[in-house]
Amino acid sequence: MTKPLQINPLKLSQPMGSLLAFLGIKNCMPLMHGAQGCASFSKVFFTRHFNDPIAIQTTAVNDITAIVDGGDYSISEAINNITKKVKPDLVGLFTTGLTEVKGDDIKGATYLLKKRMKMVYVHTPDFEGGLESGFAKTIEAIIEQLVVPTKEIDSKKALLIPNVNITPIEVEKIKEQLELFGFKSFALPDLSDSLDGHLGLKQGALSSGGISLENIKNLANCSLVISVGRSVEKCGISMLEKNPNMTHLHFDSLGGLKNSDKFYKALMEFTKVSKPASSIIRWRKRLQDVLLDTHFLIGGANVVVALEPDQINSIVQTISEAGANIKAIIAPTNSMAINELTCKVIIGDFDDVEKILEENDLLISNFHGHRLTKKHNKALMLRGFPNFEGIGYQLKNDSLYEGSSYLLCEIANILEHHRH
Amino acid sequence: MVNKKQIKELLNESTCSHNIEKKSSCNRAKPGATSGGCAFEGAQIALFPFADVIHLVHAPSTCQGASWETRESRTSYKGEDNTPLGYCTDINTNDIIFGGNKKLEDSIKYIIKHKNPKAIFVYETCVTAMIGDNMDSLAKRLEKKYSIPIVVVHSPGFVGGKNLGSRLGGIAILEQLIGTKEPKEIHPYGINLIGEYNVTGDMWQYTPILEKIGIKIVSTLAGDGRIENIQQAHRAKLNVIVCAKSLVTLCKKMEEKYSIPYVSVSFYGKRDTSNAIRTIVGAFKDEKLSKKAEIVIDDEERKLEKKLIPFRKILKGKKAILNTGGNKSWSIASALQDIGIEVVATSIRKATLEDIDIAKKYVPILMKVPANEQAKLIDEHKVDILLAGGRSLYTAIKKRVAFVDVNQEKKVSYGAYNGLINLAKNVCNAVNNPVFKVVGTTAPWEKTND
Ligand code: SF4
Repeated sequence: MTKPLQINPLKLSQPMGSLLAFLGIKNCMPLMHGAQGCASFSKVFFTRHFNDPIAIQTTAVNDITAIVDGGDYSISEAINNITKKVKPDLVGLFTTGLTEVKGDDIKGATYLLKKRMKMVYVHTPDFEGGLESGFAKTIEAIIEQLVVPTKEIDSKKALLIPNVNITPIEVEKIKEQLELFGFKSFALPDLSDSLDGHLGLKQGALSSGGISLENIKNLANCSLVISVGRSVEKCGISMLEKNPNMTHLHFDSLGGLKNSDKFYKALMEFTKVSKPASSIIRWRKRLQDVLLDTHFLIGGANVVVALEPDQINSIVQTISEAGANIKAIIAPTNSMAINELTCKVIIGDFDDVEKILEENDLLISNFHGHRLTKKHNKALMLRGFPNFEGIGYQLKNDSLYEGSSYLLCEIANILEHHRH
Repeated sequence: MVNKKQIKELLNESTCSHNIEKKSSCNRAKPGATSGGCAFEGAQIALFPFADVIHLVHAPSTCQGASWETRESRTSYKGEDNTPLGYCTDINTNDIIFGGNKKLEDSIKYIIKHKNPKAIFVYETCVTAMIGDNMDSLAKRLEKKYSIPIVVVHSPGFVGGKNLGSRLGGIAILEQLIGTKEPKEIHPYGINLIGEYNVTGDMWQYTPILEKIGIKIVSTLAGDGRIENIQQAHRAKLNVIVCAKSLVTLCKKMEEKYSIPYVSVSFYGKRDTSNAIRTIVGAFKDEKLSKKAEIVIDDEERKLEKKLIPFRKILKGKKAILNTGGNKSWSIASALQDIGIEVVATSIRKATLEDIDIAKKYVPILMKVPANEQAKLIDEHKVDILLAGGRSLYTAIKKRVAFVDVNQEKKVSYGAYNGLINLAKNVCNAVNNPVFKVVGTTAPWEKTND
């Protein structure tokens, strides 16, 4: 009998991914269209993960509105009540399983409110897809509904579209790399400005930073759009629909030496630069050194990775360069990002992780990996959502030469520590 | 199916004075102005602490995916602790179209075959209620076939908030479990602990004291709970509601059905803990028992005072402001006073009328909009410590006062006598920590820190 249910799920829902995407927009109020609990669970989840307040509201559908209302009432009521307290630049409206089963017309509802509030709507039922698709669908909706088409190109402007697993500090680092090539860089969404864990007036009523609505509208004249991760490749393509003269560079991952090489090579070709900034050159040498220094420890390790598909792909590629034996990967949802991996691929949950853990040394996974690795006395490297106990998740950089160096050192140290 | 009449009855719970005052707003969450959890979360809080039961959530991925392994409810159960685990039918598009019953049935059978639990609780959520899965008849059929209790909890989030969900959970237990087993013997001082979830082991701070006095815990709903015990709950002599308004209806129904009286207590701080013990013991109207209780209380209080001496030295003359919600607005205030801190003000932003009435007795200033008021009060009263949620941290930094995250109690127990030591430790650590002043220093490129 194949397992009909999930036991200790790895999967996170589409609306949760959507929420994160909206949180990377400045002065935004993410509005979850559903019963109150989904918003509350998501808020608590990300508050604990980021150690920072999370802005979100709910349309609070109840047993009466669930039957008599097609969404219009609860959505417009929500806008009334939100604007009594705060003045958001944008309201990001996204659905849940309940309102999708009801079949609410959210496009129509936002159309009716057009004059009163700038809104973006997106369908994110939680009985489909997962965190990555919710994040990506939302970016697509933002592009489609907000970015103003143009044919003009500003050769100095570049846009980064990260996948949901890219941390706030990584967004900032990648943007900085673009700046080293002379670009003024933007990210959609930009979590490096909102959920990076900075001290500020954290009332949490609206998103605390991110890309501004004005800047989003004007993104179409970017000369370059860079998408990172299979889950957001389509978002890059949607940008091209806003301006056919834009160039789209896609990278499945920025983890490891080879992927970083590809990234810088493409940028050098595009900008016609023959030698990049000295810090880039220096970091490549450091990564080479780290690879050699860590290969002995990592080379012998049997590793299980249980994360979102894009992050699995990125980490697997990075640590495989130092010789790690990837014994199995477990992903919550299927994706092209993991279809090409040669190890055992399971679409599953922590029940599957536990079954496989016994013969292996190291688990790379989220907070829920704690209990399992403790029980089976295995090493754990924390990545992904949620990270409830650890602190500083938003400052973890695994990308490009620099981040890959940190990642390899961290794994080697964990393995060494666990050996004793 | 969700029972409309029952929900109405539960919502109108008369002992909740909040309800009488503002009925509609208490019952219905406002679109765009709601922050609390849903009924399913309430049921989860109330029932998941049964560690020997498998909790199967019939839902798509949000309900359980975002919430499993998030609570610190402890158990002493020796088998696999099911409380932190996440069982979920993970409904998909196909199930939405053709119905989720088949998946639910397969899931229950899978659990029985592979995990062999003592019972299964199945939770109905928004989507599975919407598509109209008939969970009751399925559960009955499988219950017969496999001879283990399969309890259906109708807790779709759209029927209401956490409190209602806890009540729905309680009612499910009452109707489907309590009274289904008889104990070998009936203890003269047997009690049920209702609404105690043993978060961070709170309950274990006081149950040994009760036992020392001669009281027996027959069952709990549901901290460190066992299915077998709750089945025999009807043979207890007293229901004790711990710090939770949400399960009064359950207790009333048990009073009607089994003639078990109930009392309501709180175990925060020294005074409340001693009072709680007296209330419980007093309900038995037994002089010998009361005498014994006084001796034990006296002994515990003395031990506590001795342990508090070093902390009192540090905390003497310190002033604090408390910004937290619900019954914590007074229960933590009272605990702080017990360790020698002057509580200047407390927040009543999320408190019920009842809580406000109690808070008045403990604290002189009640803040309605603490975000606006607390900074000014810190200056006016030369306050040393701000105890609040993470959002107020910035205020503390700006005002350069010590900050204690009140939600720490989710990690260490502040319950009963010994919990006070934990609270005192945390407050002392904050008072002694230079971090708030360091962080509050002016950057080289700024003129002032305001
Ligand atoms: S509101 Fe409904 S769908 Fe959302 S978490 Fe609660 S029960 Fe689940």
